[in-house]
Amino acid sequence: MKKSDLDKVKIKQIPAQKRTNPFANVFDEFVGFCRSRSMFMLHYCTGCGAIELPPAMTSRFDMERLGIQPMVSPRQADILLITGYVSIKTLKRVILTYEQMAAPKYVIGICSCTVNGGMYWQSYATAKKLDEYFPVDLYIAGCMPRPEAVIEGLQQLMQKIKANEANSWKQYYKNYDYFLGNQQHLFGNNWQTPTDVIGEAETYQLAGPNTLGEHTKILQSVQTPLKPLEMKL
Amino acid sequence: MNETFLTITEVIMMPIVAFIIGLFMVLMMRKLAARIQRRIGPGVFQPLYDIVKLYGKQTQISHGLIHDIGIIMAVGGYVAAVTLLPVPGMNGIADKGGIITLTYLLMVPSLGLALGVGQCANPNGSIGISRALTSMLAYDIPFIIVIFGVATHFSSTSLVSIIAAQQVGGFGTWGISEMPLLALAGLFALHASLGKHPFEIYVAPAEIATGPMVEMGGKFLGGLFVMQSFQLYAASVLYVSLFLGGGENWVTFLLKCFAVLIIPFAIAYLFPRYRTEDLVRLMWKWPVMLALLGIAFVMN
Ligand code: SF4
Repeated sequence: MKKSDLDKVKIKQIPAQKRTNPFANVFDEFVGFCRSRSMFMLHYCTGCGAIELPPAMTSRFDMERLGIQPMVSPRQADILLITGYVSIKTLKRVILTYEQMAAPKYVIGICSCTVNGGMYWQSYATAKKLDEYFPVDLYIAGCMPRPEAVIEGLQQLMQKIKANEANSWKQYYKNYDYFLGNQQHLFGNNWQTPTDVIGEAETYQLAGPNTLGEHTKILQSVQTPLKPLEMKL
Repeated sequence: MNETFLTITEVIMMPIVAFIIGLFMVLMMRKLAARIQRRIGPGVFQPLYDIVKLYGKQTQISHGLIHDIGIIMAVGGYVAAVTLLPVPGMNGIADKGGIITLTYLLMVPSLGLALGVGQCANPNGSIGISRALTSMLAYDIPFIIVIFGVATHFSSTSLVSIIAAQQVGGFGTWGISEMPLLALAGLFALHASLGKHPFEIYVAPAEIATGPMVEMGGKFLGGLFVMQSFQLYAASVLYVSLFLGGGENWVTFLLKCFAVLIIPFAIAYLFPRYRTEDLVRLMWKWPVMLALLGIAFVMN
């Protein structure tokens, strides 16, 4: 890839500013604490691991005492739970869902199948490693993990959020070219999502040297602009 | 001058007090649900954490100006309504507004929500809001009859004088012992206006993905959470003022408010929900019949 091609698309980079006001820091800490204590999860039940979530949510293990609630739409959710093997077709929907979620967002891969393909390793139709397609905060291995393990994993995520370490959603913007490349490898070069990830990266000031590359160039050459849906009765 | 200043302070204080009490009502609702389902339930500050987190989200997706205004109307309608609801020690502008104004204001949030959701262009949201307005139509008929009956009985539309009239003779002069049928119909309408099971036709997470809330994220959903705490507060305080003698002091007032809400909450988590047409049929039959009968007794 030539340097001149990359120059065509300009990305504004503003250095992030440090907050110096001590009250702002206290406020940030408080918001971080609230984030860790209130997690709305969108459990996208992709595979068999989903069956362990009802017991984790209901009377036996009761996630709500930790502030974890199920939510039904990606706009409302903080955590995307991928519960099991992801077929290629499902992966498209998962990526669409992931891109619609509001930052800060976290992804948890439950089940061995999300870690390395598990017992579907030889299948032609499943995605093997989830974190090749979008960043994953936490894996919970097991075939399938028990509800205790799920809750343990969620508590670890809680600690990470509280310590301000669960920032993997930023990686998606910083390394968009890499993730897009893997997505194009599976779905073909015509792959396009309705979300303008590069534009979002600029807005969040997260665009870096790896945001653009050869794969985003392919995307920009095939991208058809989104049009509002026609109103029809 | 002094009186104006006092009124302004009260108008500012009342929504704040209402919000804090409302948060505890939300907590009680979730705790009660948890206990009924044999769970432990959320911690004390859970409703607050949820709201702070939602307002602290980095992505705030707005679907346009009307979307923003809709949420402001939804919260603002209740904020205006609670300044018309007298609490012990604070009357706000209750003696100037009266129940007719209050009834109008209580409809504003649903209409605001309809405006806001309309711009999201999500079919689930549109279905949800049409169901919400249908259910409003269903419970408003008995609600208006009840309001009418109470106003006739006390020959006043001012909540302040209604409460004063109930407080002269203790329990014997409370609305609930003088107009039990109207009180029962009012409880029906209260339950339906909260939008909880079995009247939860417009949220329906498993069917239309929380209906009006489907496209709301971040501060918009946070606004709806704030609205919910105001809604619980407004509904229970209105019922307490109409039928349970208002508040003599804060202790009895809060006891009454929370006790009123326990009834719908305890019913809510035991039942599945009605379909839209069943809800309308039910609300226009039983509560309306009870309320009309109650009005007949009041008017003789
Ligand atoms: S790890 Fe086992 S339980 Fe989980 S999705 Fe794969 S096969 Fe199913």
